[in-house]
Amino acid sequence: MSDVYWCTNCLNMSTRPRISFDARGWCNACQWVEEKQTLDWGARQRELEALLARHKRTDGRFDCATTVSGGKDGSYVSYNVQHRHGMNPLAITVTPALALELGNRNLRNFIESGYNHLQVNADPTVMRILNREGFLLTGFPYFGWLMAMQAAPIRTAINLGIGLIFYGEDGEVEYGGSTALKNRAIYDIDFMRRIYLEGGQDTVLKSSGIPLEKLYFFMFPTEEELAGRQLEIAHWSYFESWDPYRNYLVAKEHCGLEEAEASNSGTFTNFAQNDQALYALHTYVMYLKFGFGRATQDVGIEIRRGAMSREQGVNLVRLYDGHYPEEYLELYLDYYGMDRAEFDAALDRWANADLFEKRNGRWVPTFEVR
Amino acid sequence: MTVPVVIVDYGMGNLFSVASALRYLGADPSISSDPEVVARAPHTILPGVGSFRLAMERLRAGALDDAMRSAIAAGGRLLGICLGMQLLGASSTEDGASDGLGFVPNVVSRFDDSDGLKVPHVGFNEVAVTERTGLFADLPEPAHFYFVHSYRMEEGSLSFPRATCDYGGRFLAAFDAGQVGGTQFHPEKSQSDGLTVLRNFLRA
Amino acid sequence: MTALKKRLMFALLYDGGSFMLSRNFRLQRVGDIEWLERNYNFRETALSIDELVILNVERERGSMDGFLAHVKRLNDDCFVPITAGGGVRSVDDARVLLRSGADKVAINTALWSDPPLVAELASEFGRQCLVASVDVRSTAAGHRAVVANGTEELPMPAAEWLSRVAEMPIGEIFLTSVDRDGTGQGFDEAVLGLVPHDLPVPLIIAGGAGKAEHFVAPLVRGDVGAACTAHLFNFVGQSLATSRAHLRASGVDLVEWNPDLLRGLAGSV
Repeated sequence: MSDVYWCTNCLNMSTRPRISFDARGWCNACQWVEEKQTLDWGARQRELEALLARHKRTDGRFDCATTVSGGKDGSYVSYNVQHRHGMNPLAITVTPALALELGNRNLRNFIESGYNHLQVNADPTVMRILNREGFLLTGFPYFGWLMAMQAAPIRTAINLGIGLIFYGEDGEVEYGGSTALKNRAIYDIDFMRRIYLEGGQDTVLKSSGIPLEKLYFFMFPTEEELAGRQLEIAHWSYFESWDPYRNYLVAKEHCGLEEAEASNSGTFTNFAQNDQALYALHTYVMYLKFGFGRATQDVGIEIRRGAMSREQGVNLVRLYDGHYPEEYLELYLDYYGMDRAEFDAALDRWANADLFEKRNGRWVPTFEVR
Repeated sequence: MTVPVVIVDYGMGNLFSVASALRYLGADPSISSDPEVVARAPHTILPGVGSFRLAMERLRAGALDDAMRSAIAAGGRLLGICLGMQLLGASSTEDGASDGLGFVPNVVSRFDDSDGLKVPHVGFNEVAVTERTGLFADLPEPAHFYFVHSYRMEEGSLSFPRATCDYGGRFLAAFDAGQVGGTQFHPEKSQSDGLTVLRNFLRA
Repeated sequence: MTALKKRLMFALLYDGGSFMLSRNFRLQRVGDIEWLERNYNFRETALSIDELVILNVERERGSMDGFLAHVKRLNDDCFVPITAGGGVRSVDDARVLLRSGADKVAINTALWSDPPLVAELASEFGRQCLVASVDVRSTAAGHRAVVANGTEELPMPAAEWLSRVAEMPIGEIFLTSVDRDGTGQGFDEAVLGLVPHDLPVPLIIAGGAGKAEHFVAPLVRGDVGAACTAHLFNFVGQSLATSRAHLRASGVDLVEWNPDLLRGLAGSV
């Protein structure tokens, strides 16, 4: 327990997977913010222009793809790709389970603001099974959607002859974790499998027993399917300093982004992650596993962009982090086909006994954020 | 035994806040526009916000001016706050010339903004106290109070305990003339320093 | 040289029983009066601020009763000056606010839609009671003032509007940057350039503060008398107190209050 510590700049916790700290106690996300201030962005912009030039088409066909949910980040990237760089992107959404009304509205607003868009609906009954298995076996309540979110855009791009896909940010570099992609623009499927899916794919698939033919949108293309096809996957955050708040402001102004009426579950923000109800569960499980939740992440973003002090952040983390998503409980139980006892037992599996103890049926932290 | 205080209600002034502060101190405030109640009060507070001329008209119309004089004659104590303090003076130049209640001979005039001085005088400012007795007992050095006014009482040649403030020149921030006292600042809005003055008023 | 102190102000945005966070004038519900009392405890927090602003930001004008009840409640045991406003359209609106515990009344839309009202209010309550609230945002045509909760843009440059307002019978100008509102990016010093050089009344700047450091730059300027934040999340708990201490340590001239003295005065008569 005494081994747990927090970044001395933001409130990232030492328990965060793949995170690293320097001699000052600054986590890699905070170190990266410093590096970004003196980084030669001009060089990276030229790389971006060269990359785009390699793919640009003027024959009317799509020359790149972006991944969007209707939220601020995908909208920001799409806006830039289409309006600032003059490309012809296809925006792709993979429909999540338990989509929220605000999310649907934001997606519609995004599309209506002027984008070519494809919505992939991976079979929801299959996604439900994978989500359930993911929840039980890896602690990712929307594992099925994560698989499809990584795989389906790639499949779609290949099928349409698009050789370039932009994802938003590399969360590992921007928010704390592996720094492998800090100076790498292009990455590959293997990286996605290893890091973003944390190698959990095989476990979940095996347990689900779903046959291959039902998994088209959930599986990355094979080596054979990729042969002869050019596919470059890039993070926008490599080419331009990533700023979630800036993305929100641009999406608000140009893509019709709306916020929720009140704070989202487990945090104090209302303008991020409004597309699916399972996100609240995902961050709650994350909280049980590692001791930090959605508020901690949002505080980190605020501190790093200079909008809040660490001390203020501590107040907000203590106030909002680790909120049991009571408001979605019925929805979750119905979705997973579980009763309350099974659901809580599934959560129990992930609670880190070094960090939490159960009191009155709820996991309560034995540590205090400082 | 709680100290009863009457706050004169003549339709002008933040009665609510004054009453709130008095309750915090443990006094028993009541708000009244009845001259008989005012005339009998051992402690009276005259609040005030707005026009000197209008205020005097209302006090006279409500017979409250005589009521306060009776209260003083009967040995009571009176504290004027903000415009209320100004009303205790001889006259004011606001809206032409108006006569005040005349409890003290000082006159009220406007801040001189010819040098770019921002008027009204708004915010917390430091006061200099001649002696820490009566209304000014136990005040820290320096003491700070909240001011919000465009007119102020000139220092004149008063000799009793008083507080002055320097804003475009020295003016009278408060005075303690025994039974009658006044504060240009709002003691009910001046944190501990202000409440100390109110407490002193009630204790005497 | 004056000993007049700078003022650190806190604003509460009220909407139908809830207190809100505003981001570029879009509202997010934060919590009710109980939330506020738990996380701000104004009896204590009031010592860390010089003035409290309470604005009714309801988009649809309902009855004022709920708002007034909250103004009264916040005034209880809270010995800081209070400015209240939001939808003031008549002398009665102002009067009822002043009688509920407000020391000053803020007017915004009325400055534009009903100028005679400003003179009436000044004559009834004194101009020092009136805070002229001006909201400004940048547009392709330069800065413009907006009214009606940011929905209506005034048809002249913002600097011109500010000059006009400065000549009205008002006590202070409360200048808010809509672009910075709720962003935590710091105050917008560009809007300060819109204010007339020889402004005869005190100036309060608002919009953009997220942490203590943001207040230093505007408050050390000679032309700014006060800075205000409405960031209801960032300043919970002890944050206003530590921010104030930080500002004083950074050279901002603010009064320092001793909480023990205040407590000691309770029931002391």
